[in-house]
Amino acid sequence: MTSVDAGTIAAVKFGVSAEDHAKATLNILEDFSEDKARMEETQHAIFNILRDFSDEKIWLESTQRATLNLLEDFDEERTKAEGVSRELQESVELLRVAKEAAEISNRELESFSYSVSHDLRAPLRHISGFSKMLAEEFGATLDPGAQHYLERIQTGTQKMGLLVDELLNLARLGRHALRLQPTRLNPIIAEVVAILQPESEGRQVEWLIADLPAVDCDPVLVKQVFQNLLANALKFTRPRADGNTQKGTAASTSRTVIEVGHKEEGGQPVFLVRDNGIGFNMKYVDKLFGVFQRLHRAEDFEGTGIGLATVQRIVQKHGGRVWAEGELDKGAAFYFTLSAGKQADVKSSGATAGGQS
Amino acid sequence: MNSGELEILLVEDNRDDMDLALHALKREKLANNIVVARDGEEALDFLFCRGAFTHRSFDHPPKLVLLDLKLPKVDGMEVLKQVKSDPRTKTIPVVIMTSSKEERDLVSGYNLGANSYIQKPVDFDQFRETVKRVGLYWLVINQPVPLGTGAKAAAQRA
Repeated sequence: MTSVDAGTIAAVKFGVSAEDHAKATLNILEDFSEDKARMEETQHAIFNILRDFSDEKIWLESTQRATLNLLEDFDEERTKAEGVSRELQESVELLRVAKEAAEISNRELESFSYSVSHDLRAPLRHISGFSKMLAEEFGATLDPGAQHYLERIQTGTQKMGLLVDELLNLARLGRHALRLQPTRLNPIIAEVVAILQPESEGRQVEWLIADLPAVDCDPVLVKQVFQNLLANALKFTRPRADGNTQKGTAASTSRTVIEVGHKEEGGQPVFLVRDNGIGFNMKYVDKLFGVFQRLHRAEDFEGTGIGLATVQRIVQKHGGRVWAEGELDKGAAFYFTLSAGKQADVKSSGATAGGQS
Repeated sequence: MNSGELEILLVEDNRDDMDLALHALKREKLANNIVVARDGEEALDFLFCRGAFTHRSFDHPPKLVLLDLKLPKVDGMEVLKQVKSDPRTKTIPVVIMTSSKEERDLVSGYNLGANSYIQKPVDFDQFRETVKRVGLYWLVINQPVPLGTGAKAAAQRA
């Protein structure tokens, strides 16, 4: 507006002509129109800016909303996380309770086996002792029937003593810490065969014992495995008195063959103990490894029904497994792995048979 | 064997076990002079010459103590502990004779100074054989501390 003021002042001051005046007025109007256009532009610009602002505002608002949502989500996540952590805590607590319960039941089992060993054996000893004293001191005055009953009492007592001891051994196995060491199995088997010598007295037994690879295992426990399996093999190849046998089996020919060998399977040795005894019907195979499970009458074959359960417990402790194959009157084979450790030595030379009886 | 000399203190609360042990010991003619204590307290009174046994002297300890573990009043482990921690009685051979062969009993028995640990067999023939061997070893084969140099001397120092 400065130029308008300046033109007016000039006309007043210097007394300009009407033409000049009209020109000046046009000039001024022109100036006005320019100004108007500039003002409109400015206004546009301002509108634009305002529109931009409003856009910004909308954007800001949505950002804010998003932030709020995010915060809300965070809150939910936090609640969820808290829930998870609570659940975890609860799980940990449950585990702790379960562990405590397991410890308590372990302690109970321990004190149970303790009192079984202490309390149950005592009366058995008394029955054995006094029945024997009765037989010795008064046997002469007893008739044969009474003496026979006394013998039955003795036998029963011995059986129960064995049962109690084997049950205790089985219970102790659970607590026995595995002491793994590289072990040569052949010397262990030789020891077991020597221990079992009295049971094969007067019989022709052909032992086919292969050269076995050394393995990482607990030698004390693995000796127990071989002892139980080989004792079983000897027992179930024993000639039977009833003559109820088929040709070709140990029971009919009195020729016993017991084989100990191994084969590689899945990169680890599978050990086997095979006999040509009375075998078993495969439909009962699931019962073989159960405690107190027996497939034969006590009159035919003595036993407690704990031996194979013990074998299974030991093998499982090593991380291995045990299984059996059999056929009635043809023989039985027991297989097991001791996969807890790596093989210490792979100098297997196959199933070389070496007789030693 | 001097018939007047005390040979065995049998510490046994169970009457049946006591009769069987006495029967076995007498049958093997290993010991004629056997005293039976029926609980841990009685055993301690006897060994430490007190209570009903004040007339006894530390000069005449039993040649062998056969000790059961499960006993009324004072249990076998406590009897063993007191006997083996006192200089007047520590040279007396103590053989634990028990039903249990629990590892913890074996370990604490030997730690407390037991001279031997025997599990009573269930079978009476084996039981007799065991008692015979224990008696033979401790009463006949084993050489005890000479009287007056072990227990008595220690008692005088105490």
